[in-house]
Amino acid sequence: MSPELLGAWVAAGLTLAIFSFLYRDNPFFKFGEHLYIGISVGYSLTLLIFNFMIPKWWTPLFREGRMSLLVPTVLGLLIWTRFFPRFSWLSRWAFAFIVGFGAGITIPRMISNFIFRQVESTAVPLVSRGPGGVSFGWEDLSNFLIAFGVLSVLTYFFFSVEHKGPIRPLARAGVLFLMVSFGASFGYTVMARVSLLFGRMYDLVEYSSRGYGYATLILLGIMVAVFSAQALSKRREGE
Amino acid sequence: MRKLADKVLSMDRRVIYLLMAAAALLPFVTGPLGLPSRVSPEVKAVYDRIESLPEGSPFLISMDFDPASKPELYPMAEALVRHAFRKNLRIIGMNLWVTGSGMAEKILSDVAEEYGKEYGKDYVYLGWAPGATNVILGLGQDIYKTYPKDYYGNETSGMSVLEGVRTLKDIPFMVDLAAGDPGIETWVVYGKAKSMAGGCTAVIAPGMYAFLNSGQLVGLIGGMRGAAEYELLLKEMGKATVGMDIQSTTHVLILGLILLSNFAFFSTRRRG
Repeated sequence: MSPELLGAWVAAGLTLAIFSFLYRDNPFFKFGEHLYIGISVGYSLTLLIFNFMIPKWWTPLFREGRMSLLVPTVLGLLIWTRFFPRFSWLSRWAFAFIVGFGAGITIPRMISNFIFRQVESTAVPLVSRGPGGVSFGWEDLSNFLIAFGVLSVLTYFFFSVEHKGPIRPLARAGVLFLMVSFGASFGYTVMARVSLLFGRMYDLVEYSSRGYGYATLILLGIMVAVFSAQALSKRREGE
Repeated sequence: MRKLADKVLSMDRRVIYLLMAAAALLPFVTGPLGLPSRVSPEVKAVYDRIESLPEGSPFLISMDFDPASKPELYPMAEALVRHAFRKNLRIIGMNLWVTGSGMAEKILSDVAEEYGKEYGKDYVYLGWAPGATNVILGLGQDIYKTYPKDYYGNETSGMSVLEGVRTLKDIPFMVDLAAGDPGIETWVVYGKAKSMAGGCTAVIAPGMYAFLNSGQLVGLIGGMRGAAEYELLLKEMGKATVGMDIQSTTHVLILGLILLSNFAFFSTRRRG
């Protein structure tokens, strides 16, 4: 059996095993699920050790003698003291470094990119000014909708003032904008999930051909036979 | 009528799964449906940006996804790499998702073989390194210190594909293909690339439009639809184009089921 053929049988079998959960929870699904988790962790650990820890930590520190690497090594080891209640306070030094470094790097960049740049792109002119005077085109309408949408949604989430009087319609408009946003997100999510379905269907159809030894059809047949036999034996037990 | 409405409302979910499977298989039986498609401006912007790059320019593609998002992002990555090789750009590939490391390597090596490109001269795959934020910050300071070796263990210094490239600022254009975090947002915040575009799964696409609107991204390829549009621009029918037929059949089914269940719900309610 060629590696490609073996791969096709494994892929078809595992896909069908995972899909079998749609019928009900069963050992095929459990096997596929556990294998997936195990392989993911094994693959990640292997890459971490051989592509990162050995060339970037072990070799420079222990073979080339780069002593500066002792600092992150000690900080990393301190985190493990969490497992020993008597020494767990030592882990705070490592966490203090992580939090301090993380906050210092992240906060200014987050404010700059997520707040200032977004406010800048929201606070745009609502009308166009040209040689012919002031006009209001499609782009201006789009700008207006963005600005109005931001204001109304912020109003909806502003709970310090009761949503009564003139605030009420603005907050209601905010709800409408939120609904449209959720609808668009959900539509995109459906599209994404269908894409995943397509991905597996494409492979299953491909592997059902003669070139792959009818892998999908045979494995599907086996699963259906097992489920039918199980259902039959349960029915007999009930009788 | 009431009986039918009740049956619809209490339909076994497995019937819906079977109907979905049938709708998804339909285009495989009937062949391409040939439905018209249109290229959106945000996808065209990515294409135009790559077209505008002079031959031999370095182009960074970070494939931050894993096999779970393969149907959406794999065709997108293939289309982008094809485009870059067609334009004779020097491709620098990398990834921030450990479980997608091998898949990203396969994309680059497969397409490179198709175009007869040479490793180390026309393209390089830097692979994965832990700590996405630090990796991106490191690339902004020194690529060779962040990636002293590539995915295969070769020294990166002296590689002709990286000639004239020391930091992210030396790369005129980059695309991040992301399935989540770390992804486009991480690159936007920490990357400081000269010019950047994004490609992402449909789930996270709506959230990325804010960066497009603010000019932090020059273009955006969203989900399988975006990938199909890119294939259309390249005039190459790939998996994403085929997948759009399935999108159409399943979406018609979903709409039909929503209408049917609403009709059944309101008809039972009206009769009390």
